[in-house]
Order: sequence, then C-alpha cells, then structure tokens
Amino acid sequence: MYLTRQEQQTLDGEHGWANQIAMKILVRLGDLYGATKLIPVQSAHLSGVSYKHLSDAAIDFLNELADKGGSAKTTATLNPSSLDTEYLIKHYSQERVSQQEKIINLYSRMQIRPTLTCTPYYIQKPKANQHLAWAESSAVVYANSVLNAWTNREGAPSALAAALIGKTPNYGLHQPQNRKPNVLVKLGIKLQTESDYGALGIHLGELLKDKIPAIDGLRGSVDELKQLGAAMASSGMTALFYTQPPLKSKIAETLTVERKDIEDTKSKLRTTDEKPKLVFIGCPHCSFNELRTVALAIDNKKVRDDTELWVCTSRHIKNKSSRYVAIIERAGGHVMCDTCVLVSWIKDLGLYTLVTNSAKTAFYAPTLNEVDARLEPLKRCIESACGA
Amino acid sequence: MPTTTKTLKGRSIVSGRLKGTALVSQKPLSFLGGVDYNTGVVIEKNHDLKGMALKNAILCFPSGHGSTVGSYVLYSLVKKGLGPKAIVNQVADTVVVVGAIIADIPMIDQVNIKQIKTGDILEVDGERGTVKIKAKRN
Repeated sequence: MYLTRQEQQTLDGEHGWANQIAMKILVRLGDLYGATKLIPVQSAHLSGVSYKHLSDAAIDFLNELADKGGSAKTTATLNPSSLDTEYLIKHYSQERVSQQEKIINLYSRMQIRPTLTCTPYYIQKPKANQHLAWAESSAVVYANSVLNAWTNREGAPSALAAALIGKTPNYGLHQPQNRKPNVLVKLGIKLQTESDYGALGIHLGELLKDKIPAIDGLRGSVDELKQLGAAMASSGMTALFYTQPPLKSKIAETLTVERKDIEDTKSKLRTTDEKPKLVFIGCPHCSFNELRTVALAIDNKKVRDDTELWVCTSRHIKNKSSRYVAIIERAGGHVMCDTCVLVSWIKDLGLYTLVTNSAKTAFYAPTLNEVDARLEPLKRCIESACGA
Repeated sequence: MPTTTKTLKGRSIVSGRLKGTALVSQKPLSFLGGVDYNTGVVIEKNHDLKGMALKNAILCFPSGHGSTVGSYVLYSLVKKGLGPKAIVNQVADTVVVVGAIIADIPMIDQVNIKQIKTGDILEVDGERGTVKIKAKRN
C-alpha cells in the first residue's frame, strides 16, 4: 500500500501513540484487503458507545487514545448509548450511568460528536458517490444501498481509526468493480408490511453471507428498505444490495424467495406468544415519517398499565416532530433519544418479553437482551400495547 | 496416542507464534450477542459451540458475522483473560481482524478448518500464516 511521507511518519509513531495505533489499523486492513492507498472520508460514524457492550477494558483503550492525542480529523458521529437522559437514567445504577457518561465524554474529548443515533444519515445525508467510513451495520447498508454513498462495513475501532486519521484504505466497496451485484434474488411474493421486509432480510442475510444481491421485484419505501437492510446485516454480512437487476450484465447465481420462506423466518423470530411487557418501535431509529405513522396509529388510544411502549429515535428527529411526540406521550408511550433496546439493559427493568416491528431487534433480543421476542407489523404492535 | 504432524498453509493477518488447543466451529460466529462478554462463553442460539468457553483456545471458525461492535468484545475478552489466544478463520471478516489487531493476538485466515478438530494441539505462526497440527485428538 502506498503511503505518503506524512502517513508513514504517523505509522512510525512520530505523531503520537493514538495516531500511530489508528494508522496501524488502517494500514493493516488496507494491506489485507488490497488497498492501494488511503483516501479522505466525508464522515466517520462510530459504533462502540453503549457501556453495556463496551465494558471497562474498552474504556481503558479509549482513555489511552484520548490521553495520547486522539482527535477527529473529519466529521465524526456516535451510535446510541445504553440510556436516555429522561427515562432510563432514573432506572439504572449510578455506576452504569457514570461509566456511560465517561465513554461519551472520552469520545467528545476526541472531537467526536455525541449524536447517539444509528441513523446519522437523517442528521447529515451523505451525497451519492461520497466516501465514508461507517460502522453500525444498518447504517452501512443504508448508505450504500439507499443513498449510493460508498463505505465498507467498518468495525467500531476501524471507524474510530478513520475518524482520527480522516482517511480510509481504498479497498472493498470503495472500488466500483467490487460494488457489482453477484446474486439475483427473485421475489415470488408481495411484501405487505415493514416486518415482511425485515423477515426477508433475515432470510437473505443467512443465505447470502457477504454477497451483493440484486432483488428483482422490490418496491419498498426507504423506511421499508431500512428494515430490510438492517435485518440482512444482522443475520449476514451484507453491506450493499440493489432494488433491481443490472441493466447491462447478467448474473449467473439466482435465488428465489417464496411466501413460505418469509413465514418460516417469522416463526423463527417468534420465541413467545405471551402478552409483551415491552412494545418497541425504532430499530433502526425512527425517521420523521415513521414517527408520524406511530403517532397516527396510536392517537386516541392508551397504552395498558402493565405494558411499556418505547419509540426510539434521534434527538434531531425528536426535536423536529414535537406534535407527533406529544400524541405518543399522551397515549402513554415513551419517545426516547440517544438509546435503544439492543444496547440497553431491558431485562433488569423486568421487561422479559417484547414485541417489535424490527426484525433486527427480534433477531438479536433473545441473545443480546436475554428476553423473548416476537416480530409483528406496527399495527399489531400498537394493538399489543393498547389492546384489552 | 499416535501423533500426526500436518502443516496447513494460510495467510498472515496478525503476527505472533504460540501453541494451544483447538476449539473448532463449523458455523460463523458473532462476538456481539454470540459470546457472553462477562464469561467468554458462546451463547448464540443453535451454535455448535454453545456453552463452550473461548478462554485460552485457538479458536477456529469459518468467519465472523453480525454487528461491528464485535471487535471490542474480542478486545475486552482478551484483556480480561477470557478470550481466545489465537484465531484461525477460513475467511477473515473486518470485525474479527480489527479485534485481533487491537487485542494483539495472532490470527491467520484462508485455512481449511475442516482439517482441524476440537482438542487438537496446534502451533499457530501468525507471521508465516501457518497452522501445524502437532497432535490429533481421537
């Protein structure tokens, strides 16, 4: 891999330890995956924020980076944390709250913005063909597939490394020849709801691993494609998909999806039939439209006393939708910023069963949260929260 | 026990040379959600290593999958002494590669892990990208 004189000096440690370890990560990955050089990135988005997942050893690592000169050289944003500052903060121990604050402060010390959302594209939408270095698998697949920006599926530390250097190695999805679809998926069915899109994503992710599918017959809204991509990136390594077959080239490998595949996936994502303790909307974080849809669905209804409704979004979207937030909160729901179910300790709150319209959450909750889960479309989720 | 020595050639990812006992999976592994970061025990549903501790093992599995926070989980496990001491993959995935770089444990990929069985004594050379099977377990 070609390095400029300054990049080589950074790698040799002449610009401090933090820059050196960041450069080591970038150069090692670049060498392994066939990069020819480092290229500037428009932004970096970092996962690895929630204290629940990071634990103390990673705090030590961040601390050392911040102490030894780590500082972002490009726009850098952060994934959700383990709690919000209005509701959950009152329910967790002082230790958890202070460790979480410590993590956010360490990133802030390195000039990384505490946006605390998995949907940074609602705050600053990347333009087509811009190069990014994003972690958070659902944001990666959305940026590549829906926004046509270019990013690899970074790990939490490699996105941090890219933030500290302002560059990324130009391998993988930064090269046009690596962005071509290599599996044609034929949909023999019509998808009805966002949870159908999510179930399709879980099914495809398991089969496709890291292949790039072109899904023929896909007509979803951007929010439905967000569900599809987030799910594919959870059960597989998908970072890019297309919503139509290529015009000029033929794809040899074909895969057909039947109604049965979707139904089988949904029953795999159903570990309980019980009445849920928690109804959760907002994985990935709600868009403005999704928040409005929730508000319209719950207007004039009331969340049952024995159930909680969480609607998670970014502070940015919440501030823009005060009218809808008021409707959801009047019905007894919590509109939460900065956090989500997967990165929080919901089991400790006694929330042992959840119903969600997010296939990603239904896929992860039984292991990440050790709770039972069920995938249902929004309408059924609201019925679960408000029904008799 | 008769010993067979066989050398499998792979690709160097993170250098370092050591001996240890193989823990082999035929399934992709997600460090986030798939492994309990307090104990280092595999908890992924329907996984062939479910219930097994990764501690001090030479962990052989096809590739990583799942969420990108997995790199820090690997780093954390190794720092706490609950992680694997080396990693052998069929196909290296970024999540695992970066985890191995910052945790500073030897890693190689492009190895046909079907040739390795759990309990085999291995010598991993992360610089040359080789795995020697020093002793087969019956």
